[in-house]
Amino acid sequence: MRDHTTLILGGIVFLLAGAAWLSGGWGLVLAGFMGGVTTLLLVAPLLLCAFLIAGLIQVLLTEEKVTYWLGEGSGWRGIFLACISGALMPGGPYVYYPIAATLLRAGASLGVLVAFVSAKSVWPVVRLPLEFALLGPRLTVARILTTFLVPPLLGFLSQALAGRQVEAIRENLKS
Amino acid sequence: MTLAIFTLLIPAVILFVYAWRRGDGSHRRGLARGGQTLLSVLPLLVLAFTTIGFVSVLLPQEGLQNLIGPDSGWKGLLRAQGMGMLMPGGPYVVIPLISTLYQLGTGLGATVALVTSWSSLSLMNALWEASFLGWRFTVIRWTLLLPFPVLVGLLAEALFGGTS
Repeated sequence: MRDHTTLILGGIVFLLAGAAWLSGGWGLVLAGFMGGVTTLLLVAPLLLCAFLIAGLIQVLLTEEKVTYWLGEGSGWRGIFLACISGALMPGGPYVYYPIAATLLRAGASLGVLVAFVSAKSVWPVVRLPLEFALLGPRLTVARILTTFLVPPLLGFLSQALAGRQVEAIRENLKS
Repeated sequence: MTLAIFTLLIPAVILFVYAWRRGDGSHRRGLARGGQTLLSVLPLLVLAFTTIGFVSVLLPQEGLQNLIGPDSGWKGLLRAQGMGMLMPGGPYVVIPLISTLYQLGTGLGATVALVTSWSSLSLMNALWEASFLGWRFTVIRWTLLLPFPVLVGLLAEALFGGTS
């Protein structure tokens, strides 16, 4: 996955460099390249901190620990715990989707699953230092505060509107 | 910038001291894990930042501001949501790119909508999700989430927009 991304991104850089050359010659190519490198060097100390925090959180919070909390409750308590677990869950989609699938097989409700997946994408504790480093405090705070209620709200909404679908979803997963 | 460094240094130090006091080598493993992640995504980061450099010299600032600038209204938020859904790739590529768009003049609300939409509704992610949890689950979650990026964008603009 990541190797593909690197290749695709490399291709994009190449195309963009071509576009810069066409519209402004080598001067513009150099300007674009230097602009990128300068920005990277400027944010390098922030990135170092962000990766340090992410590494420490990942070591202190293992997937097993988070999954244990996640399995603790049902109803509103379950949705609330699912939000916290989703926020704290380390790792990319190849980590948390299999965990969500395991929970589904183990009998988790639709609301719990939706809350978990939504919290992972909207309140990601491991990704926040990176967001903070690159987007700045104002935007990060604005984003957190405005999306604060989204994961639990979605958990409740999905449970209320489509909670019964969970059996069909579970059946599909088995076949 | 200095404020941002301090704000990130404080949790880093607290976590490090906490890990160190556990006495099981967590602090060293945490450092190693962070370092490994950084090294493994370094090529991606360099490419992402190079992309950013080119985007900022090539992208007509005025055009971007018309599309999703601070004065583009709810249509700008809708466009931002659409862009977020189509953005491929993980945080190491997308967040630097969004930060450049923000510096080039994307509105605060549109940027919030963009981040929210990319992180929760991206089509790439929907594919992952559907392959593990089935299409039915993805359709339910996706449909319920659909109105939210524009809504949180409007809310962010109303609460935090204006003075920059």
